[in-house]
Amino acid sequence: MRKRESKESDARYRGLLEAAPDAMVVVDQGGAIVLLNVQAEKQFGYRRDELIGQQVTNIIPVGFAERLIADGTRSAAEALSQHIGTGIELSALRKDGSEFPIEIMLSPLESAEGILVTAAIRDITVRRAAAEHLVRMEERYRGLLEAAPDAMVVVNTTGEIVLLNVQAEKQFGYRRDELLGQKVTSIIPLGFAERLVADAQRSEQDALEQQIGTGLELLALRKDGSEFPIEIMLSPLTSIEGMLVTAAIRDISARKKAEVHLQDKVDELRRSNQELTHFADIASHDLQEPLRMVSSFIQLLARRYKGKLDSDADEFIGYAVDGVTRMQRLLQDLLIYSRVGTKGKELIETSSERALSHALANLGRVIADSGAVVTHDPLPDVLADHIQLIQLFQNLVANAIKYQKPGVPIVHVSAAKGQGDEWTFSVKDNGLGIEPQYFDRIFGMFQRLHKREDFTGTGIGLAICKKIVERHGGCISVESQLDQGSTFRFGLVGSAS
Amino acid sequence: MTKGLIGDNGMPIQVLLVEDSPGDVRLTQEAFREANVAIQVHIASDGVEAMEFLRQQGRHAQSPRPDLILLDLNLPRMDGREVLAAIKADDGLKSIPTVILTTSEAEADIVRSYRLQANSYLTKPVQLDAFEGLVKSINDFWLTRAKLPKNWQRV
Repeated sequence: MRKRESKESDARYRGLLEAAPDAMVVVDQGGAIVLLNVQAEKQFGYRRDELIGQQVTNIIPVGFAERLIADGTRSAAEALSQHIGTGIELSALRKDGSEFPIEIMLSPLESAEGILVTAAIRDITVRRAAAEHLVRMEERYRGLLEAAPDAMVVVNTTGEIVLLNVQAEKQFGYRRDELLGQKVTSIIPLGFAERLVADAQRSEQDALEQQIGTGLELLALRKDGSEFPIEIMLSPLTSIEGMLVTAAIRDISARKKAEVHLQDKVDELRRSNQELTHFADIASHDLQEPLRMVSSFIQLLARRYKGKLDSDADEFIGYAVDGVTRMQRLLQDLLIYSRVGTKGKELIETSSERALSHALANLGRVIADSGAVVTHDPLPDVLADHIQLIQLFQNLVANAIKYQKPGVPIVHVSAAKGQGDEWTFSVKDNGLGIEPQYFDRIFGMFQRLHKREDFTGTGIGLAICKKIVERHGGCISVESQLDQGSTFRFGLVGSAS
Repeated sequence: MTKGLIGDNGMPIQVLLVEDSPGDVRLTQEAFREANVAIQVHIASDGVEAMEFLRQQGRHAQSPRPDLILLDLNLPRMDGREVLAAIKADDGLKSIPTVILTTSEAEADIVRSYRLQANSYLTKPVQLDAFEGLVKSINDFWLTRAKLPKNWQRV
């Protein structure tokens, strides 16, 4: 009966032992293995009979047997209280000689054979690897943080600095321990902490969406009290400590300085440009006054004394009249040129067809005298300064008529819809044409391709056209072949309707 | 003598030209001569002198009352705008037609002159022919066609 009971309980224990998830090894005080389960066989690569009676140091060379001896000097109760529940990490040895990390839990049990020690042994290869991985990852992240070119400061939602990198130390002039736990307002007084509060009132998702990639420009404060401009990029991150905000902080002093420098340059350029246009305006206007005197009196001289002095005098006066007349025309054109910029009106919806008719009316006499045939397609409404558009058409049509071969000048004006609301206007003639190497030059100031005896002109007409078109945001170009006529094209923006 | 040489009262027509540029003075005189009108052109070379002439003060005590004033705007001492304002504020002078003859094409000058009751505003053309044409038309309109108050009708 007793024997049976003992057998039954034996079987029950054995069942328990075998069902345990860990390798179980029971060792006596002498360090000999008295019992083990199937998991232990598997883990160590031995058959059961190869281990029973063997010293436990065969499978756990260091750290276990010593403990047994130590325990032997203590009372069982002491040993018991000390060991239950403590996991010791040791190295285990398989039959094939390979090592693996284990965690071992000891629990002494008193038996008829004296105090035995049950060891639950867990292979922690995977866990160890995971832990090592974690450490490596953390090192890597720390490395990343430290290697970042920007100062990085991680702040919790109450505005306390929880992490920072070496760049942050450098930029703000603090040692790390001086900043950890401090309020972020001590280095960024305004604009950052407020944002954290605002973020706390928003959902994390909102905050996240709103802040990733947004650069804020703020002022930062060094330990020595000096201020410097920063650009700060925030990215919220959720951690076990709640939401944290990582701030990448860049010192933008140099950029700010460059910006200020650039702005100064722009201002300076604008000023000098203004002065220049003003100068051209004043100069051409004020120069006209004395020139009017020279011109008027030279003409009076010519009128009254022609044929009354000698032939040299007549010739000299003739050159003087010619020169002064040309000078007047130059000044007038220069004035028109400079006023394209200074006296231009707002660009409003304008009928380009009406502007062309206006220009043709102004050219009435030129057209009649030359017998030119000027035609046009229906033309669109565009955004333009009406007066300047008239001037543009007038100059181009006048040129088309002027630079002609013998015969009837034929000029056609058309417009083609381009991309979006762009219109490309064409003024096509059957005139002399232009050699390609002069295509760019003709739009420059005072550029002429013909001798004055052949064609009069100041060489400003096309420069004025270019300036008008550019003021309207377009480009002007020419396409031509010698003796094949020319087509001048320019772009204007159509009005919405 | 053709009509226009003599005013309705039988006296020669008197024009006061207020102009500081001797060249312009001479040009205007020549242009009036081209227009073949033997009018008497008096010259004041600045605004102060113009007012002295009109008010017969100082060395202008014996000056005649002009039938027409040609007034430049940019003048030393007292400029044309002030002269115009003074003339039109003076009951004795405001009936004299005052024509602005200037190089200024500024809209502000034009508006201001008419507000001050200038009788017309003319700009000096750059070309001699055009200038002569302008003086001729001043003569044709103001000194020939327009009926002006008689010289002795002082208020």
